[in-house]
Amino acid sequence: MEILWFGVLALLLIGYFALEGFDLGVGLLLPVTADRDRAIGAIGPFVLANEVWLIAVAGVLFGAFPACEHALSANYTAVVLLLVSWVVRDMGLWFRRRLFARAFWEWVIALGSLGVCLAWGLFLAGLAGFSFPFGLLYGLLIAALFVLHGRRFLDWRLTGGGSPLVTGALAAVPALVPLVGFAGAVVGNAAPSATLTVMTFMVLPFVPVMAGAQIWVWRAFGKGPVPTYF
Amino acid sequence: MDVLDLARLQFAVTGSLHFLFVVLTLGLAPLVAIMHTRYARTGSTLDERTTRFWGQIYVTNYALGIVTGIVMEFQFGLSWSGLTHYAGDVFGAPLALETLIAFFLESTFLGLWIFGWHRLPKWLHVATIWLVTITAYASAFWIMVANSFLQHPAGAVRDGDVLRLDDFGALLTNPSLSMALPHVLSAGLTVGGFVVMGASAYHLFRRTPDQELFSRSMRMGIWTSFAGTMMVVGFGFAQFGPVTSVQPDKFVDRPAAAFGLGMMILLGHLLQLVALVLVIVVKWAPRWRFLHPLIVLVTPLPFVAAILGWIAREEGRQPWMIWERLKVADAITPGLTGGQIILSFAGFVGVLTLLTVANYVLIVRIIRRGPHEIALGENPAAPAPALTF
Repeated sequence: MEILWFGVLALLLIGYFALEGFDLGVGLLLPVTADRDRAIGAIGPFVLANEVWLIAVAGVLFGAFPACEHALSANYTAVVLLLVSWVVRDMGLWFRRRLFARAFWEWVIALGSLGVCLAWGLFLAGLAGFSFPFGLLYGLLIAALFVLHGRRFLDWRLTGGGSPLVTGALAAVPALVPLVGFAGAVVGNAAPSATLTVMTFMVLPFVPVMAGAQIWVWRAFGKGPVPTYF
Repeated sequence: MDVLDLARLQFAVTGSLHFLFVVLTLGLAPLVAIMHTRYARTGSTLDERTTRFWGQIYVTNYALGIVTGIVMEFQFGLSWSGLTHYAGDVFGAPLALETLIAFFLESTFLGLWIFGWHRLPKWLHVATIWLVTITAYASAFWIMVANSFLQHPAGAVRDGDVLRLDDFGALLTNPSLSMALPHVLSAGLTVGGFVVMGASAYHLFRRTPDQELFSRSMRMGIWTSFAGTMMVVGFGFAQFGPVTSVQPDKFVDRPAAAFGLGMMILLGHLLQLVALVLVIVVKWAPRWRFLHPLIVLVTPLPFVAAILGWIAREEGRQPWMIWERLKVADAITPGLTGGQIILSFAGFVGVLTLLTVANYVLIVRIIRRGPHEIALGENPAAPAPALTF
């Protein structure tokens, strides 16, 4: 049961990096993107469905591996940076067409995306006890992979280029490394089987709905005119 | 203020900001779903404009609900790891279930609804807003399960120095939950109803072009706030029995809790009276212009009552994090420094407060501009002027 829930945690975190990776990558690319309306329009319908994978990661961490939660407070600054950057990136998207100047919110989106990438670098490196400069470097590596992934996604979505599957897999590598490294420690800190059994029993019937909803997003918004809401 | 005070204040402020948006989400979601269903059936322009106008307000409000919610969730790990250490095996389960089987779906379906205009088949598109509504209510359910556990740790047993899950069913039939959940949901309907009739009253008073649309919306708002206030007061009083059976001195010697409770009850009755009077004259209310400024004036009150309700519930729990099991002071993350909490306080409270103000400016602007400039559901194929909303 612990292994199963670790698998769920790993899948959600990898999914977050592979999916939200292109949203953040497009955000990072905004300052050098000519047609920002179309770039943001391309990621628009995916953002809500992508970022929620990280909220699910946090949920699984609290529910199935509560003893691992100290990883958050042990890397306090990185987590605060992650949350604040995530929040302002999101609000940049919601406000861009509606308040003040668009260019202001586009910078907010770009800086927010950068903040999220750096925070991930600091957080994951911090978990392994690496120093601050190493964490920043790891964050820049994550940002670089996300930029690659974001470009590929825009190519695929806007100009009919090849699918972003490979770059998505690459974008997930920075999450995969610590997952492999900490697998034993995380599994050893799982909640008792009574808790895990109840959660399994409750979540299982919804797995097809969750998968179906995600697939629906890709089928509905993977092609066709680019929406303009964000 | 010391570290503990700041951590508490941070949670209280982010929680209150979160609930301001959540309570309107809970109330507006079913109303927008009903409007959209009506539009799908009739196909009329009036129904389309109604759905898109209120839908735009709903979505704008929702955005801040998400980002404040993110900060809430992670704060448990940042500031309150003592809670997770002591009760994570029990308390974590409803939170995990909320994220997986409620919010994950809610967010995904909301994306489908926002961007699905002119793209999804008509009835499937309507289905997404109903799914958003259902999952929003499911989300409220699981969060209330988690909160009720703090009020009364049902279903858990002590095992050494921690709590273990013993009876999951007892978590779901917690006396602190049974009447509180419908109380919260009907508070949502009250807020939704008052906002809809308040915004309608503004347009009717100003004699803007969409008189028919806002007359209908006002009647819907009046009926909703009537049903909402009746239920919120009913379930509110019905809570006293079960709550005091497990927290007998919740409102005794806890001035902040007693104050919150008293003011909330006062406002609840006032709003109930307003809704009752309006429902009697519902047929004429859209035409009685003298009423409209009064309706606009009372619109903020249900929000105030909702926050007062949470102050009553949570202050009435002090000094316990988990009633008679774990003190708030012992739930704080060990070794949390002043520098850390000041950093996160500035980051979360500062940024979220600014964004809250910006979002309300935006919502008021959407309401004032009315249904002719709505970005939600605009047809990309139609040659339209550059729309702002």
